[in-house]
Amino acid sequence: MSQFALEVKSLTKRIGKKTIVDDVSFQVERGEIFGLLGPNGAGKTTIIRMIVSLINRTGGTVLVNGQDLDESFTQAMNELGAIVENPEFYKYLSGYKNLKHYARMALTDITEERIEEVTELVGLENAIHDKVRTYSLGMRQRLGVAQTILHKPSILILDEPTNGLDPQGIREFRDYLRLLASQGTSVLVSSHLLSEMQLMCDRFAIIEQGKLVHISTMNENETEETKVTRSVEMEVSNASHAAKLLKEKMPEVKVTSIKDSRLILSVEKETIPVINKLLVLNDIDVFEILNVKATLEDRFLEITNKDKKEQTV
Amino acid sequence: MIALIQNELMKIFGKMASWIYMVIIVMAVLVAGIIYMKFSGDPNPNWRQDTQAEITMLENQMGSASEEEKGMIEEQINQTQEYLDKGINPTAKTNWHFMNDVVVRVSSLVTLFVVVVGSANVAAEFSDGTIKQLLIRPHRRWSVLLSKYIAVIIYAMLMVVTLIVSGYLIGLILFGSGDFNMKIFEFTLEGRKEAIVGTQFFLKMLYFIPSLLMVMTIGFMLSTLFKSQALAVGIGIFVLFFSSTLGGIILMLADKYTWAKFLIFPHLDLTVYALQDRILENITLPVSLSILAIYYAVFMMITFFFFQKRDISI
Repeated sequence: MSQFALEVKSLTKRIGKKTIVDDVSFQVERGEIFGLLGPNGAGKTTIIRMIVSLINRTGGTVLVNGQDLDESFTQAMNELGAIVENPEFYKYLSGYKNLKHYARMALTDITEERIEEVTELVGLENAIHDKVRTYSLGMRQRLGVAQTILHKPSILILDEPTNGLDPQGIREFRDYLRLLASQGTSVLVSSHLLSEMQLMCDRFAIIEQGKLVHISTMNENETEETKVTRSVEMEVSNASHAAKLLKEKMPEVKVTSIKDSRLILSVEKETIPVINKLLVLNDIDVFEILNVKATLEDRFLEITNKDKKEQTV
Repeated sequence: MIALIQNELMKIFGKMASWIYMVIIVMAVLVAGIIYMKFSGDPNPNWRQDTQAEITMLENQMGSASEEEKGMIEEQINQTQEYLDKGINPTAKTNWHFMNDVVVRVSSLVTLFVVVVGSANVAAEFSDGTIKQLLIRPHRRWSVLLSKYIAVIIYAMLMVVTLIVSGYLIGLILFGSGDFNMKIFEFTLEGRKEAIVGTQFFLKMLYFIPSLLMVMTIGFMLSTLFKSQALAVGIGIFVLFFSSTLGGIILMLADKYTWAKFLIFPHLDLTVYALQDRILENITLPVSLSILAIYYAVFMMITFFFFQKRDISI
């Protein structure tokens, strides 16, 4: 058993003179949900398609569960389950026949019981003998999950898996991933939906113009936030008065915007009660103090923008 | 590999169309049988007397004919006499006659449907996007494609069997059981040829198979290369229905240009060899088969090479 479920080393794809993916390396640990983030056209899909060998690699190696894709292709592929973009099925066959189809393609023997078990896990037992044509998108997504986990792969690879799903479908999907990860299956998931990634992933990498520009864990992301100054929104009885007061007494507090009775301040955590006290003692009523959480989106934009600035310099 | 072929067969027969094509073949044989029954005369049990009477009539004509006509009439008498000598009933109509004359022609419909099913088998994987799921499995690409190819061949053979069996049964119902070993005259470009009706039918079916395989392979190659069923079927139909015309034109050119002989078209329809031994001075069945074999190898290599190398980015 190798330490990593998936190891990608200096993956590169060039078409003509254009470099689409440039020297990308990362590892996915066991039981981890790893996200690939990036704007459309950044090369996420190309990276995923190279890992699942739908696209030829110009350079680099891929190890699935320690097996090199070039040296032991079939063994490596047997350790991997994937949905590339939308899960596509033979619509004229029943869900069961579709599963049977993929079960026959696995190297290991997949029993009828296993097919049943997986069907139950995704809650399709009532519809499994209907033709896939009659399935809703959410049901197809669930059948997609069933199909990828049939042969108990070490790693699931999902490209834009929540595309086109309604919020409930997304929620369901996330729960499956969490369940699978808790059972030791690793997941590599790509998306441009950042808030979604934030809820799903343990770690993420940001891909920008074919390059991997940043890797960090979600926790790192959150701890960093507590140290730095944060945005705080306050609802007070007299916003303009409050702003003036703050400017006089606490010049280190930056007021970023005043709108109606709302103030947005940029402060450190420890100063929030001080401000509150100051306002109250000066007869300004405080109705609400909100922590405007820096989302992954902000971080993402921050990181990619910083990168662009560096490039222009 | 067997599991892969099983899958491909499940996909072919999971489609209603594949069954409908089989039914159409049976219907076409039935319609052809009814037309054959209505529009060709009933078999004459007294054909010997009638043929003898025809000869006597021709002999009477000869007496009053001019010198020019005499030669023609004499030729006609000789030909008619041959029926009597060989014991061939010119009006005979049994299920074997039906198969040899009519069922053989329905075979082009078989080719057409096999091309449709064969090219859909590959092109639909691309158009439905299922190719992505198919190729991320622990199987080499060539083995996935080969399993498809074999499944289409199995379907093609089933269609041929459907044609033969339905031809035999419908013939049996409409015309009654005939003697397999009955003699017939086949009319060819080289004149008449004596043959045994049952053997002649199976010879034609046997010679039909290589051309079926070739047209199917062309359709399979095009759908793999262009991922488009419409294009593959279009060119397949073109090859199917124009190959005899093109073959004829090319054979005329072959007198002038030697290379024209090596084009695929004159060799696609091998059933002519059931009637004659050569289509040109030095082109016989083995020559045609060798030329087809080379084309076949090239088509297969192109198909598998490109499929192996292709980036799947749909």
